[in-house]
Amino acid sequence: MSDQTVVVARHRTFSFSRLFAITTNTLTELTRLKVFYVLLVFALVLIGSSIFMAQFSFQQEFQILKDVSLGAMSIFTSLLAIVAAARLIPQDVEDRTIYTILAKPVPRLEYLLGKIAGVLLLLAISTLVMSAVFLFVLYAREQSVIQMTLRQMSGAPREQVDDALRAIRSSALNIDLFPGIIIIYLKASLLAALTLFVSTFATTNIFTIVVMAFIYFIGHLQATAREYWLHEHSSGWITRVFLAIVALLFPDLQAFNLVDDIVAGAAISIALFLKTAVLGIFYTAIYTLLAAFVFYGKEL
Amino acid sequence: MTDPAIAVRGLTKIFPIPFHRQSIVAVRDLDLRVEPGEVYGLLGPNGSGKSTTLKIILGLVSPTRGCTEIFGRDSRLVKSREAVGFLPENPYFYKYLSGEETLRFFGRLCGLGGAGLKNRMDELLELVGLTNARKRRLGTYSKGMLQRIGLAQALIHDPRLVVLDEPTAGVDPAGSREIRDLILDLKRRGITVLLSSHLLAQAQEICDHVGILADGVLVREGRLQELIAIENQTELVIANASSDLVEEIESLIKRSNAELVARRRSTTTLEKLFLDATTERPRS
Repeated sequence: MSDQTVVVARHRTFSFSRLFAITTNTLTELTRLKVFYVLLVFALVLIGSSIFMAQFSFQQEFQILKDVSLGAMSIFTSLLAIVAAARLIPQDVEDRTIYTILAKPVPRLEYLLGKIAGVLLLLAISTLVMSAVFLFVLYAREQSVIQMTLRQMSGAPREQVDDALRAIRSSALNIDLFPGIIIIYLKASLLAALTLFVSTFATTNIFTIVVMAFIYFIGHLQATAREYWLHEHSSGWITRVFLAIVALLFPDLQAFNLVDDIVAGAAISIALFLKTAVLGIFYTAIYTLLAAFVFYGKEL
Repeated sequence: MTDPAIAVRGLTKIFPIPFHRQSIVAVRDLDLRVEPGEVYGLLGPNGSGKSTTLKIILGLVSPTRGCTEIFGRDSRLVKSREAVGFLPENPYFYKYLSGEETLRFFGRLCGLGGAGLKNRMDELLELVGLTNARKRRLGTYSKGMLQRIGLAQALIHDPRLVVLDEPTAGVDPAGSREIRDLILDLKRRGITVLLSSHLLAQAQEICDHVGILADGVLVREGRLQELIAIENQTELVIANASSDLVEEIESLIKRSNAELVARRRSTTTLEKLFLDATTERPRS
């Protein structure tokens, strides 16, 4: 071995370079998983095949196409978030790679942030790919319906044709889809952060996934249960504190379900979109901090 | 006075057993000092507390009592790990990365980059004999090759201290000898090495100091040559001695009150010392 000096940058408490190294490595790790491709291909096939599911009026056809596609995107990004985030820390512990990483001058917070950033990047890529396929299918059907309508209304007055085309365009590809897709992504991010938090004290991947399956269902049902509880029982401060704790532990996932409104053709108000987006970011940040707190004191 | 490479003072680690009143004492009142530039062997049977001690030194596990320092810095501080390279027992690494991608990843974690990192990677791949396998994924590497790439990643940032947990476990004799030669090379370069090992003959070849742990207690500690020497015996190594000279020496011994024990080596083996030290304490 030569005696040349190795130039190592002065240690910094927080380094984006280290964070980037862990993030890109996590993304590489996750894209090598077969389950990622299985889920993605399955979602894409479902979105693509939704084109054949409706043969009624064009409104119904577009409604079903959006319903199936956005529903598939929501379920598959949620599944991917849970499956991907559940394995990261337990796998590194099992393979002992966590020892070699944390024995380097890498703070635990950076390691954890790198891991969650890798999952969020994977979810962003998956959401983009699914959205591209969905929007392409929707656009193709819209063009097909427009051509068909133009042929059928070849002798009709100009205003009537314009009205028909406006009706088609407003029920197909419209701007309201994008906030819906962003909220689907934020819901998956929230689930990824929560899964990472559970995995910091879980001993196996299976345990984490089972716990997350329960949280997923409770999260979707808790809003209804809360309304029922407040309606049937007194709404004293103890009840409210208890419900607030439940709401923090089990996020109200139903609040992220804007798909139904979008499919029904109702425009999402900017206030509702911002409120839901901030809630998603807040939950993601809180669960990441909780994960960092537990992971900081974890014996490896 | 220079700081020791590693200073362990009054270290105790107790692992509570969930839902039980009992707990496991992994390490008890351990004091250890590793001087810069020496090769220190931490020896002991399975479950004696070697790995726990190494993990506490590396900040992976927190002590129940006591403190550990690396070159004068509290080893719980992330900054203290700038000076340390670590190779865990049976390392696995990310099997989807190639040899050079692995070194690049660990180099970037240590703040290396650009041409400096590339040169360092080339140098280390050459050192551990993996230049031809640099593009191959780690999933296709043999156990010996994994151990060597593990050693290369431990050295990527040119640390002053290298901690090796069972560095030759599961490696064939030739690979084991290569790793031994690499450790001796590190020692020549003034790098401090702390290793845990079960291969006592090999530890005897390379260690300056040894500490033997049994049930979490340091039962023997000191310079290797002093530990394995037998106090009431003297060893004369004579070159080109004629048989007459040897007979004369033997008769001289007979005439005195001394006793000729053997005509060859008169030191014990490290293996015997190890077994003596670890079997004289009843296992709990």
